[in-house]
Amino acid sequence: MELTREEEEILKGRRGEAAARALEAIVKVGEALGAERLVPIRHAHVSGVSYGNIGEAGARFLEELAEQGARFAVPTTVNPLGYDPWDPGFYGATREYVEGQERIIRALTRMGALPSFTCTPYKTSLFEAEAPPPGSHVAWGESSAVVYANSFLGLRTNREGGPLALLAAIAGRTYYYGLHTPEGRIPRVEYRVEAPGPLGDAEAGVLGAIIGEAHEDPEPPALRASFEGDLALRELSAALGAAGSVGMVYVHGLTPEPLPRGWRPEERVTIEAGEVRARLEEHAPASPGEVDLYFVGCPHLDYEDLARLASYMRRYGPSRKPFIAATSNEAYIRALGDGTASTLRSLGVRIARGTCLIVSPMNLRGVTVATNSYKALFYLSRRGARVRLAGLEQLARLAAGAGET
Amino acid sequence: MSPEAAYKGRPLVPGSARGRAVVVDAISFYGDVDPETGLLRDGRSIAGRILAARRSRGSTVGSYVIMALKYNSKAPAAIIMERAEPIVVVGAYLAGVPLVDSLPRGLFESLRDGDEVVVEADGTVRILRRPGAGG
Repeated sequence: MELTREEEEILKGRRGEAAARALEAIVKVGEALGAERLVPIRHAHVSGVSYGNIGEAGARFLEELAEQGARFAVPTTVNPLGYDPWDPGFYGATREYVEGQERIIRALTRMGALPSFTCTPYKTSLFEAEAPPPGSHVAWGESSAVVYANSFLGLRTNREGGPLALLAAIAGRTYYYGLHTPEGRIPRVEYRVEAPGPLGDAEAGVLGAIIGEAHEDPEPPALRASFEGDLALRELSAALGAAGSVGMVYVHGLTPEPLPRGWRPEERVTIEAGEVRARLEEHAPASPGEVDLYFVGCPHLDYEDLARLASYMRRYGPSRKPFIAATSNEAYIRALGDGTASTLRSLGVRIARGTCLIVSPMNLRGVTVATNSYKALFYLSRRGARVRLAGLEQLARLAAGAGET
Repeated sequence: MSPEAAYKGRPLVPGSARGRAVVVDAISFYGDVDPETGLLRDGRSIAGRILAARRSRGSTVGSYVIMALKYNSKAPAAIIMERAEPIVVVGAYLAGVPLVDSLPRGLFESLRDGDEVVVEADGTVRILRRPGAGG
């Protein structure tokens, strides 16, 4: 790999032992993949923040780097914690778990992490304050945020493993490969959805799963489909990153960068509306009575979603079962300001701040969870939960009628 | 004993290993593998085995799961893939688990659990023996 003089200097330890170690790992991984050079990054987002996710091995890795003097060279946001720090007991966090989580927070904070604790860093002012312009190279972990960043923000990042995004934040660079290169971002296969109207949140997730399972090209899929709004785009992004290894989707009319003049797909795949509907029905809740727990906010709900959920619940009535809505602390504070948070609370919604059910230690074995997120379905079913899928509004209606059928 | 089959792959994390194969199609290390026990969701163990995963998918936290497997002495002896993505490469690199990709799809279709596999540092993968398959 061709390195600049500055990069050679970092490898020799000019910016300290930790920066040298970080850059060495990035060079090794990049060389193995065939990258010919590195690229400076403008921002990093680190996944692998919950103690339950990364465990003792991960906590020690972070502590060792912090101890060696590692500092983030670029603005760096971080993923959700294993529990809501205002409400750890509810999520099943033991004393040992809380101690492990606090060690991780301390190590990340020492290295200069911005306390975002969200899987949607692009929705926070911590990000917006120094937002990299479209076309910027960044190094992001969190598979759902990677797809969103590449597809809808015009940023360039691979699906970085959690530790690599962290090392890239320290080194201020990552390897120039894959979705960082213009040619790596040009789709070969185009998927077209034959649907009568725009897809809602749960439908978008199912579509993401169908494409994620089918698409094996290193290049991103192109997609002709319409979506109800930003929540649906987040659900699409999350499902693509969970059910598949897709790091970007080129949605005609939504993805900001232009395709090369005269671009035509080499292969076209049609997805019938019936296929999306059938897959959704396969996971649909049979009756409100069977649901033990409602969970929304994977990826995190933003302030507008919280306001929308509050209006649905005012319409349909309070939830009769536990209802968890995960969001960033920042969106929560905004929802506090105008009364949305207290409305939700009074209608039976527990707002989970800076965390998420997937990364929490809560025991979900045998629990029936209803969610609007295909990503949540993918991971919670791997934790022994029975998971049902429906859109946000349908969940609100179902929750209000729980026990009636 | 069936004739030995050899394939040349790309050594992403060079190293040599020998062990019995555990074969999966698409793997999300986060969610599909218990980092404490090295068990897959279906109960098979990848600890000390040659994990043959045709492709990977899912969470970017997968790298940390590979590191945790190593920390808990439950890591596979090596990982062989048709196509590895950066999540797996960095996890294997930091955990020191040999990783070879660019292996032909046919290998993953014919390989069975329990087959003896040798992984060499130059990316050569040999399948030595197929117990119960005429051996």
